[in-house]
Amino acid sequence: MRDNPVLRTCAKILFAPIIVFGLYVQFHGDYSPGGGFQAGVIIAAAFILHALIFGLEAGRRLVPQWLNLALLAAGVLLYGGVGVAGMSMGGLYLDYNVLLPDPSAGQHVGIILVEFGVGLTVTAVMLALFHAFAGFNPERFGDETSDEADHSRGGS
Amino acid sequence: MIDPVSIITDSWNYLIVICLMMGGLFIVISQNNLVKKLVGLAIFQTSVFLFYITVGKMAGGTAPILLDSADVAYSNPLPHVLILTAIVVGVATTALGLALVLRIHAAFGSIEDDEVLTIKAEAALPRVTRAASETDSEARS
Repeated sequence: MRDNPVLRTCAKILFAPIIVFGLYVQFHGDYSPGGGFQAGVIIAAAFILHALIFGLEAGRRLVPQWLNLALLAAGVLLYGGVGVAGMSMGGLYLDYNVLLPDPSAGQHVGIILVEFGVGLTVTAVMLALFHAFAGFNPERFGDETSDEADHSRGGS
Repeated sequence: MIDPVSIITDSWNYLIVICLMMGGLFIVISQNNLVKKLVGLAIFQTSVFLFYITVGKMAGGTAPILLDSADVAYSNPLPHVLILTAIVVGVATTALGLALVLRIHAAFGSIEDDEVLTIKAEAALPRVTRAASETDSEARS
């Protein structure tokens, strides 16, 4: 697919708008349908499109594996961190009211931070799943399974 | 007297749920290809999501946010939250299923259910029986 000019051009044009739409869904999640899960999948779709058109290596150059894993953990850390921050400021776990002096503003900040963490993790997990499946190398398991089969034959 | 047209117009979402659920179940039990089985499972799962959302949604209901006016109807948020979690779990189970399919393909060279079972049955035969059946087939050929 790397040589098809139509696909290449479309992917280049669509890449940024998909991410912008994902961010729109992300940051309107507290008032309208949307939120971290949906936005994460949409943003991951942009990167998966890039990897499908320009190749897995190009996708890995854009988001290296270490960055992918770091984002995955950072999202969970952000989610848990907001919860612990609420506890440390005198509230309960994930209690947004105490995050800022004004409880209403605290709710806004808390929900946006938590949703951002969810979105980050979902994006990273989707990308990691895609690369794990698309870059699957059956030869890594082929030898091992034939060994297992020999072993079971010897044992029976 | 129940009007058949009103059943369709009033509860068409339940009819969609039934069609999706039975279609998914049929794919799961009728297809031999493991990937197609997973697709059927995903369709089945989607019908359950749709069912819960339908039950939880109230016509004209808003999001359950505290408002000043007294006569506000809220949709029940519990099914929605439950299904949000179920969708995420569904992604994880689909990924696990696909990983198992890849592993089966690496081990058996096939993702057709019946072929895998045949290969497994042949591999499970004792050595003597298998040698005998091999010589039999050689003699026949």
